[in-house]
Amino acid sequence: MSSSQTQGRAPSLLGAVARFLWHVPRNILIIVLKLYRRVVSPIYGQVCRFFPSCSAYALEAVTVHGAVKGTWFSMRRVIRCHPWSAGGLDPVPSPAVVDWDDPSTVPLIVQLNHPVVFLAKQQETQSRKAA
Amino acid sequence: MGFFNTILFPFKWIVSWIMVAFHDVLTTLGMDAASGITWTLSIIGLVLVIRAALIPVFVKQIKAQRGMQALQPDMKKLQAKYKGKTDQLSRQAMGQEQMALYKEHGTNPFSACLPMLIQMPFFFSLFQVLSGVAKANSENIGIGAMTHAQVVQFDEATIFGARLSDALLPSFQGGNLTVTIAVLSIVMILAMIASQFITQKQIMSKNMSEEAMQGPFMKQQKMMLYVLPLVFGIGGINFPIGVLIYWTTTNLWTMGQQFFVIRRMPTPGSPAYKEYQKRREAKGLPLLGASKKTVEAEVIAESPDLKGQRNQPQRKNRKKK
Repeated sequence: MSSSQTQGRAPSLLGAVARFLWHVPRNILIIVLKLYRRVVSPIYGQVCRFFPSCSAYALEAVTVHGAVKGTWFSMRRVIRCHPWSAGGLDPVPSPAVVDWDDPSTVPLIVQLNHPVVFLAKQQETQSRKAA
Repeated sequence: MGFFNTILFPFKWIVSWIMVAFHDVLTTLGMDAASGITWTLSIIGLVLVIRAALIPVFVKQIKAQRGMQALQPDMKKLQAKYKGKTDQLSRQAMGQEQMALYKEHGTNPFSACLPMLIQMPFFFSLFQVLSGVAKANSENIGIGAMTHAQVVQFDEATIFGARLSDALLPSFQGGNLTVTIAVLSIVMILAMIASQFITQKQIMSKNMSEEAMQGPFMKQQKMMLYVLPLVFGIGGINFPIGVLIYWTTTNLWTMGQQFFVIRRMPTPGSPAYKEYQKRREAKGLPLLGASKKTVEAEVIAESPDLKGQRNQPQRKNRKKK
């Protein structure tokens, strides 16, 4: 997302290309997951026993942790999501390194999967504006 | 495609093995081994095996439905808390609290993702087995657990003059579309769509609570009710007749299960639930769900106009009180 900040002042074209290529697998998975959530999820209705749902979990995991680690986390989650599991709350491990003070920089799926935090943030900024 | 096939390979093997097993049993029972009807029954047998394996999941869901009664008061509170908050984050927060509530009460109305995902490779591999039969026949090979001889037999087996691997559009493109293929395909496509539509319509009109009906996903689901037949109609012209048989049979199974649920275990707060309570009342059985307090309140409310009538037959649930 904002890795250019850590790489100093000279973001060469080569660096940009390398970063783009590095993120290709992740971005393909993100597109597939978003399509699934748009098209297939509404057809089936909710079946998942967890919050966030398996597809939301996978989308966050891949967005935050990349294709390999994200897929690994997601696969383990789907295997956990069987009829005899208790379900409940099950957030993606090691949460995103995000700028909690500026929600606009946080990917939407991360916000949606941690609604309480971002709702509090929203209220805070609203009351600050009002004051 | 290679990766996809590698994953599907074991599933293809299982699917073909189950079909061959049913075919063998039916043949020993005296059915014609080369008949399309025997192979059709084998496909239906495959559906029965897969759906029967999923019965524990269904039972689990029904038990959870009973548990839902207990958390109704908490659920009402939660709905009141988020009333009128329609923004995405609030909806998510409500969903999160709902899930925590289910866990707290040790019940969960959802059937989980794994069973749904497991069914997918079975369906894809059946599709591959059925559509790969003609190719395997010409290449002199078997498919999964099916020997080449069985592949030939399957490929040449016909039902009302159409082969199980025939599909409407491919036959048309290949220039070998016959009237039987066209009629049988279209009839099966309609049967597949109708069974699905009726099941979905039943769930939505009878077995959804009022809260769910006003929920944020209802509009989407209503649209899907009509979009889905279209999707399957267009997809169906590419499906081999064998796949259409599989899909229709599995839909009919779902329909039967759903009918059972609507009749015996309706969702609290749904129209089906009200009918269910009425039937129980007519039979003199105690009302479900309503706590003891409300039942007593109802009895008290009813009693004044009962006092004036003599020889009124007493309801069973009133006798004990």
